[in-house]
Order: sequence, then structure tokens, then C-alpha cells
Amino acid sequence: MRLPWNRQQDELEREVAYHLETMADALQAQGMSRADALREARRQFGGVEQVKEDCRAESRWAWLEQIRQDMRFSWRMMKKSPSISIAAIVSLGLGIGATTAIWSMADAVLWREMAVPAPEQMLQVLWESNGRLDGRIVDWTSGGGFRDGALDVGDFFSKAAIGAMQERSAGKLELAAHLYPDAVSVNWNGNVATTRLRPVAENFFDVLRLQAALGRTFDKGSREWQVVVSHAFFQRHLGARPDAVGKTIRVNNLPYVLAGVLPSSFLGLAAGDETAMYCRIEQSPGFVRPDSWHRPRAEDPRGWWLQAIARRNPTVPLSEAKAALDTAFAGTWVAKPAAGQTPRIRLSDARTGLGAPRREMGNPTRILLVLVGMVLLVACANIANLLLARGAQREKEVALRVSMGCDPARLMRQFLTESFVMAMAGGFLSLGVAMVVSRMLVTLLPPSVNPDSLQVNLSAATLLVTAAITALTAMLFGLYPAWRATRVNAGPALKEGTGSAGTSSRARWLPAKVLVLTQVAIGVLLVTAAIVYTSHLREITSRDAGFERAHALLFDLRPGELGFDGERLANFYRSVEQRLRAVPGVTAVGVSRIRPMRGGGFHEEIAKPGAAARVNSAIHHANAGFLDALGVPLLAGRAFTVEDVQNSRRVVIVSEQLARDLKLGQPLGARVRAMNEEWEVIGVARNARYSRLTETRPVAYMPMPLDLRAATVLVRSSASPTAFIGAIREAVRSVSADVPLVDLFTMEQQIARTLQRERMFAWLCGSFGVLALVLCVVGIYGLMSHMTARRTAEVGIRLALGASRMDVTRQVIGEGMRLAGAGLLLGIPIAMYMASAAQKMRILPEGPMPYWTLVAATAVLVVSALAAVVGPAVRASSVDPMRALRES
Amino acid sequence: MYVDRQGMKPKSAELLQGTLDLLVLKTLRQGALHGYGIAQKILLSSRQVLDVQQGSLYPALHRLERRGLVSSEWKESENGRMAKVYSLTAAGRKQLASELEEWKRYTDAIGWVLEA
Repeated sequence: MRLPWNRQQDELEREVAYHLETMADALQAQGMSRADALREARRQFGGVEQVKEDCRAESRWAWLEQIRQDMRFSWRMMKKSPSISIAAIVSLGLGIGATTAIWSMADAVLWREMAVPAPEQMLQVLWESNGRLDGRIVDWTSGGGFRDGALDVGDFFSKAAIGAMQERSAGKLELAAHLYPDAVSVNWNGNVATTRLRPVAENFFDVLRLQAALGRTFDKGSREWQVVVSHAFFQRHLGARPDAVGKTIRVNNLPYVLAGVLPSSFLGLAAGDETAMYCRIEQSPGFVRPDSWHRPRAEDPRGWWLQAIARRNPTVPLSEAKAALDTAFAGTWVAKPAAGQTPRIRLSDARTGLGAPRREMGNPTRILLVLVGMVLLVACANIANLLLARGAQREKEVALRVSMGCDPARLMRQFLTESFVMAMAGGFLSLGVAMVVSRMLVTLLPPSVNPDSLQVNLSAATLLVTAAITALTAMLFGLYPAWRATRVNAGPALKEGTGSAGTSSRARWLPAKVLVLTQVAIGVLLVTAAIVYTSHLREITSRDAGFERAHALLFDLRPGELGFDGERLANFYRSVEQRLRAVPGVTAVGVSRIRPMRGGGFHEEIAKPGAAARVNSAIHHANAGFLDALGVPLLAGRAFTVEDVQNSRRVVIVSEQLARDLKLGQPLGARVRAMNEEWEVIGVARNARYSRLTETRPVAYMPMPLDLRAATVLVRSSASPTAFIGAIREAVRSVSADVPLVDLFTMEQQIARTLQRERMFAWLCGSFGVLALVLCVVGIYGLMSHMTARRTAEVGIRLALGASRMDVTRQVIGEGMRLAGAGLLLGIPIAMYMASAAQKMRILPEGPMPYWTLVAATAVLVVSALAAVVGPAVRASSVDPMRALRES
Repeated sequence: MYVDRQGMKPKSAELLQGTLDLLVLKTLRQGALHGYGIAQKILLSSRQVLDVQQGSLYPALHRLERRGLVSSEWKESENGRMAKVYSLTAAGRKQLASELEEWKRYTDAIGWVLEA
């Protein structure tokens, strides 16, 4: 590339050459020889190089030229002390990169607004009540809820309530119903994909004020079965072909017309929403299918199954809208609820979307932010220290330059450029670090969240901010030595050389010592966090699942999506079970509605007949072999028989915990109510985890319905299950070649999937800990080796006066360890405080403070600090007194 | 270090500080010229009294160019070589006029003092 100042350079060269030659021509014409003429021309011209230099000084690009000189000089200086330079650059890169990645993640999860017009008007409509809902007003529910202090909060409403609320709040609020997304199979011209479809009310997109980017949203007049798809789905599965609009697309084998494509900026209703498709609720595959849960009872005012999102009218006070909703809501109850169990409307801000993933991810993200902030702090302290040390190293050089008349401003600029070059190098490194870390962070997401739909983008603004912070640190501390040099009396500084520890030595080292001390304090904190979380993870992973983890294999079959129904489904499952059991080495075959350790499931309220107390229990709808296949021992009673399942008998096996929670006393033969029916307890099973290792829930096992559209098959084998995969596939294919095995995992893999978040969190904390440790060691090492180098003469004198080398070593080590010790004293109370804060936020399990982790963290730091000071100590003790004294 | 060759030339006068710019502008007023030409012309029109140190012309030219008073382009010169030719810009003309006036007032004042 030709740079402007290079071009200028060439031109100047040619211009001067022209001048000299023309003049020489004239002189030659007067009779001089060519050589003489040229010499004479040069003489008359004056100093050619001087002229060129003067011209450059006049040039528009003079300042650039100087910066280039400064940069070249900086590069040379950096090469002279490579360890300091590399340490500073790495500190910068890690600090900026990690911060940026984590901040971008937090942005996507916590703060990004929904891509709809005026997102601040969006509200999620919920209800809250003291304690559980009264059974007289609610009979069956479908939706989500959480506890907020003493309040139960839920997001589900009856159809009547939605209608009444829409009517009552007209003008104050617009409200649209929707359901949770369902997994569906989509067939587009023979290409099959699985995705998620959210059933929504017809006015859903009107409330969101969302226009289709292509085609249109639901056609109000038409009763045609229409779907609207996300832009990502359109690109990935429909080949981004605009002519797809208006064509037929099969969803769970039902024909829909593709009405339109949403804008690419709209990522769904919630952070990490996986929804790729929207259709009207009453046309959704789950609603129209014969065994629909919702359809037969959709109009029942005691069936609460619809979720709601709303847009407020900004000119009407929110309290008025809420009052209207409350009145309308209460008007739809079929009975008066018991005192204290009256639900009230709660409106929650939905500008960033619906709440669940945010509630789940919020605290870990916040903790990570704090941790990364500390890493940044340690990195900054490191840079500051390294630059100060280097500045001290160059005191002599600077003094020389000042004494030779170097302009202080020019000197400052030189130092500034050096820091800048370093900051730039760190900045480039940080880009790579940011990309790697953000890619890893995405896997931290709960398994239910689709990373594609979250769009964690590295935000340029964040990168700039963090880069600015660290670069500023670099500049500030890079400049400090120059600033001090201009005030230093050049004479003594030149004479002093590497010499004496003058009277000012204590004061001189103070800032550096304070920095190292802070680093060590923060280091303890981070190392403690690292140990706490990694041991927490180890503890979770090794928890007793209550069932046999080894030698089991799981996969899903979804015959219903291929059009199997009724008797054909029942036959399919029966045959699969028989063929699999016939495979040599297979000891048990389980079939169930819910995949164990899936991270979610099917929950129902169970009660003793006549009793008001209900227990929310997890349900396994399973076949006769399921308990054996899962490896859950029965403590009393019997397992299901094949007849129990074939005849759909109302029998149930309860877990110990459920028996205890229901206060069954003598469980066998007892009767319980669930799903509007009465069930007989025939067995008690040992407690086993249902959806994840971190949860303990009561579980009820019931005979599975024979017409499940999709089910999980669990195969237990006598040896390593992976050896049987081929035979198992063959067995399923022999029943039906069309039904694929979906998500085939061993049980261990399945468990690991639910722990991904914990694993990632522990991994991140661990790497922050290691990072902080490395930075601390670099910091201590840098300071100590620098301090000892500056005191060579002092050491020489001591040795000459008879101190033993051991004394010197001991002194240096003692000094370093005192520094580390002070940092530890500062850091330990902070670490203890942070750990208890984490317990309060339920990021750590409650319980006694794990003091041993503090001890371990302290030990790790002490050992590292020792490692960092040994080098400088040995170097100090191997000083040759004669040479040290001569050189000083 | 240089051999004294003053005898070969008419006695030359030192240039007053800051007047070089003025001379260059004035010389360019009659038309575009390259550096060598400017130097020759100043020498000629000063009747060989003002011997501008030829090299010092160039920093002056670059300075004037940066200030936008002259512009330059590469052209083929009379001897067939490519030369960088300078010409006066509109701003340069204005500057010349005001500097000429300034110079006149200055020399007048000096004259008055010397003749007083």
C-alpha cells in the first residue's frame, strides 16, 4: 500500500533531483565536466538531506511520520523486555475479551428488548394468590408458575377470563392469548424437520404490532389453516424462497398454508424462545388431534390453560387497566374462592419478553458479571504494575534524554505511544478471546433455550467500553514514569543507575505494593469461587439419582407424527417392546411419556379423597417394564403388570416421598385422587430423581395411555449399552422402517445434558480462578524481581559485610510472602461475604459455609506466591558482591 | 569546509528573515514555475544580488503549499524532464497583495528613519 507520506517522500526526492540536474546542465553548458557540474550544483543547493528534513517538517504528514517513529521505537522497547510486554498484553487481552463476551451474553439474556414497536408498553398478564388456588374455581390447568415470596404466581387463565378481560379493558389495554410452544414435525416438500410451534390468538400479531416481512400474518376473514414462520426458519428450512408463501406446509402431518414470514429482528416472546412457527390456537396440531387435552374442555371456566400478553395504552394509568382486569377476572369464577385464596391480576413488564428464561439465567449471569469485573480489575492492576516496573527500569534512559534537552511533551508522547501500542496488541488479542468465550457461554444456556434464537452477538459497544477502560489504565500508568521523569533531577538519577536503595525506596514501592495486595485479595475471592463451584458440581454429579445410571440407553419414538393412531399406536409400542426384549443382552425395556432427566416433565396435583391438601407430583406414565428399566427398586407392593397397562387400570405406584407428603400412612391399597379420577396405590418405589439431579420431587408412576403419539424408550442391558445400539435400531426397524430413533443417548449422557449449566458455570468460575491466579503470580513475580534487581548493590554490600546467601534469600522470600499475606488477610473476609451472598441468591446450596474451600484457596495462593518469589530470591542471593559494588 | 569561491560571483546579500515567502509568491505571480526556475528568476530579477540558498526554497514552497497559497503539479519541462511546477492560487494572490503592502509600509518606515 502506498501511504501519503511515502508518496510525498518520493516526490521530494524527484523534485530535488530535477533541480540538481537542471542546474548541472546549465553549469555543464558553461564548460564544466559533468562530475564537476554536479558537485557544484550540490554545493550551491546546500545540505540536501537538511533540506529534505526541513521539507518533511513542513509536510502535512509530519505528525504521522513522528508517530511512526514513536511506534517503531515502542516496538524496540517492547522487544527489550519481552516478559513484561507479553504479560501486559495477555492481561489486557484476557481482561477485555472475557468481559466483552460475558457482558454481551448478559445483554442478550437480561436487557435486550423485544423487537416490536414501543416494547415498553408490553405486559405479561399473570395472577398471584396467597397459597394455592382454590379447587372450587380451578379444576385443571396448563401453564407455568413460580413462587414469589409467600405468593404463588401463575400465567394461566380460562378462555372465559381472557374474553372478559379483553372486553372490560378495551381502550386501556389490548390483550392476546397464546400457549406454550409445542414440539412439532414439519414436512416441506419431503424435507422433515422438528421445530417448535406456538399456538396464538388471531389478534396476537396485532397486539405486538408486528407486520410480516413477507406475505402477511393471519388473514382475519379466512378460516384457512395458516402458519406464520420466523425468519430463521424461513432461511434454514424453506431455502429463503419468497415463493414459499402461499404454499402448503405439513405440520404433524396436517396441511397448513404458509401465510407469511416474520421480520428477522423478532426473536420470539422470550429470551431464547425456540418458536419458529405460529398458528391459531384452535387450529394448532395439539388442539385438533383426537386425544387433545384442551379441546374437550376449552370452554370450561374451571379449565385455566391460556397465557396472555398485553399492550397498555400509555395514556391510561396502569392502575385503571389493572382494576378493569381484576373485575373481569373475578367475574368469570364459578364460585367464590376461600378467603385468602383469591387470585389477583399481576402485570409484569414484558419489554424484554416473557420471564421464565430470564428468571432462570438472571442470577448466574449477574454473578458472572461480578466475577469478570474482578478479573478486569486484576488485569488492570497487573498492567499498571508492569508498566510502573518498566518505567522504573528506564529511569536512567529517561533522565539521559531529559538532560540532553528532550522536550518533556515529546517524551510524554513517546511513553503514551508505547502504552498505546501495547493496548492495541491487547485489543487484537481480546477479539479472539471474546469470540472463544462467547461461543462457550452459549452452551451455558439451559437445554430448553435455543442459542440461535438468543442471538448472542458480541457487541461492539461493549468491546469499546472495556477496551477503553483497560487502555486508559495502560495509558495512565504508562505515562506516570514519564511524568515523574520530567520532575526528576537528571543528575542523581543518572549517577544512581541500578544502585542504592535510597531513602525514598519505601515510598517508591508503595503504589506497586498496594496494587499487588489488591490483586492477591481479589485472587483469593476468585480462587475460592472456583473451588466452591467445581466442588459443588462434583457433588451434584455424584449425587444418588435413586435409579441405576449405568447400562441404560434412551431414545424417542414419534409414531403419532407419521399418522399412526388408535389401535395402530398401541400395536406399535407393544411390538417394539417385544422385539427389544428379544435382543440378547437386553434385560428390561421401559416405555414412558416423559424422558427421565429431561429437565422438565408432566406434573399433576394429587390428593387423598376428601382432603383439601394437594401435592404437586411429577408423573411418569409408563409401561410394565419401566421401573426395571430405570432401575428403581420397589420397597413395597408390586409393579404394573402388562394387563394393568393394556386395560388402563387406575393403579398407581408412589414414591416414598409422595407417600409421606400425602400422609398415606399405610400406602398399599390406599386411594388417591388425580386428574379427576380415583387411583389405587399398588406399590411404593424408592425415591428417584425425575427431571434433573438438582431437584427432588415426589413421583407417581401410572400406566401409560396406549395411544401416546410420542414416547421415550428406555433399554437396560447387561453390559455397556453402546454395544447394543445396532441391534436396537434393527429391532425398531423390524417393526416400522419409517419411525426414526430420535435423541439416542446413554443415561449418563442424558444426565450430563441437564447439568450443562452447572458444568459451564463451574468451568467459567474455574477458569476465572486460574486466570486470576496467573495474573497474581505474574504481578508478584514482576514486582519482586524488579525490586531485587534494583537493589543489587544493597545485596552486594550485605554479602560483603558477611551476610550469608541464605539470609538474602530468606529476606526476599519474606518480603514477598508478607505482601501476599496482607492480601490474603484482606481477601478472606470478602470471599466469605460473597459466598454467603451466593447462598442467599440460591446459586450455592444453603448450608454451613464451606470453610475448607477458603483454606484450600489460601493454600493455592500461598504456594503460587512462593513459586513467584523463589526465582527473584535465588537471583538476589547469587549476586557477586564484587561486581555488584563495582557496577553501582 | 567549502572552498571560498566568492570571487567568482558578484557580492551577494543575505536575505532578510521571512522575506523568502514574499519573493517566491511574487515570482510565481508572473506564471507557473518549478523550483529551479524560481531560484534563477529571483537571482536574475535581483540583478544577481540576492543569492537565495537554493535548497532553502523547497521548505518554503512546501510550507506555502500546505497553507494553500500555491498549488503544484508534475509537468514536462523545457529540457524534457518531469518537473514539479508551482503556481499561485487565489488565496496566494490575496496573500501576496497584503504582504506587498506590508512590505511597502515597512521599507517606507525604515527609509524615513534612515533619512531623518
